[in-house]
Amino acid sequence: MATKPRNKVIDNDTPLIIAIQGGQGARFEELVTRYEGKLYNFGLRICKDPSDAEDLVQETFIGIFRYIQDFRQETKFKNWMYRIATSVCHRMRRRSKYAPERELSLDEFLPGDHAEIDTELPDWAAMPIHQVLNHELGEHLKASVKELPPQYRLVLVLRDMEGFSTEETANILGITATNVKVRLHRARLFVREELKGYFS
Amino acid sequence: MTTDHDHEACRALFEKLSEYIDGETDEVTCAAIKAHMKACPCCITCLETLKRTVGFCEGVPEEPMPKEFSRKLRETLRHLPVSP
Repeated sequence: MATKPRNKVIDNDTPLIIAIQGGQGARFEELVTRYEGKLYNFGLRICKDPSDAEDLVQETFIGIFRYIQDFRQETKFKNWMYRIATSVCHRMRRRSKYAPERELSLDEFLPGDHAEIDTELPDWAAMPIHQVLNHELGEHLKASVKELPPQYRLVLVLRDMEGFSTEETANILGITATNVKVRLHRARLFVREELKGYFS
Repeated sequence: MTTDHDHEACRALFEKLSEYIDGETDEVTCAAIKAHMKACPCCITCLETLKRTVGFCEGVPEEPMPKEFSRKLRETLRHLPVSP
């Protein structure tokens, strides 16, 4: 039985991708200009240090360069690019001496009983974000995200920092939407605990 | 301050809070969480601090890319053996 062809996804990147696929290889640099900053910041949020982030950017663009003729526009180009970037992350991780994967259990974050929970909303959650989120807090937050086990870090960064939907994140990582939701919730709870420590 | 309702309900809704924040819960769960929040200041704190955590993550500014790395990247890509 023949498989039904998927609809093509058209967005702002489509004309440029079609041009490159059609032989205008010199325009690849426009893709680099468009996405190098996004990928670099993705790398900074995922990798342990800036030099790893640079490696991630370079390896990702090399992957895009090699496989762009295979891109069939069945998803947004940006999502396909992040799929390559996350596979680069996995490859880099296998090459490195990172700690083994660790599961976060929901029980770690469940309050024991009501007596342990402050019913007063803390200032950091009550005040407007722009009054609280300064450079120091931003740096602390990024450091907290790096403390997350990698499978949770990737989900949190893609969902809450890069702005992908649950469905898109599932497609990028090749996991189910349910799995994305479970990991995201635990990752957020982990980061919230770090923030509580920062503000206490 | 303590509340006098069933703490088990808090635990059951606790694992749905992120989905609730993202607007991804079904109607029944959404209504249950809203109703619970009216009676449980502990869970309001829990929800609001989690919401704020998400807000901070979304609000962290991006860093500029080092110019020298950008130049080297282009140089490397220009010398790849097969053009796209």
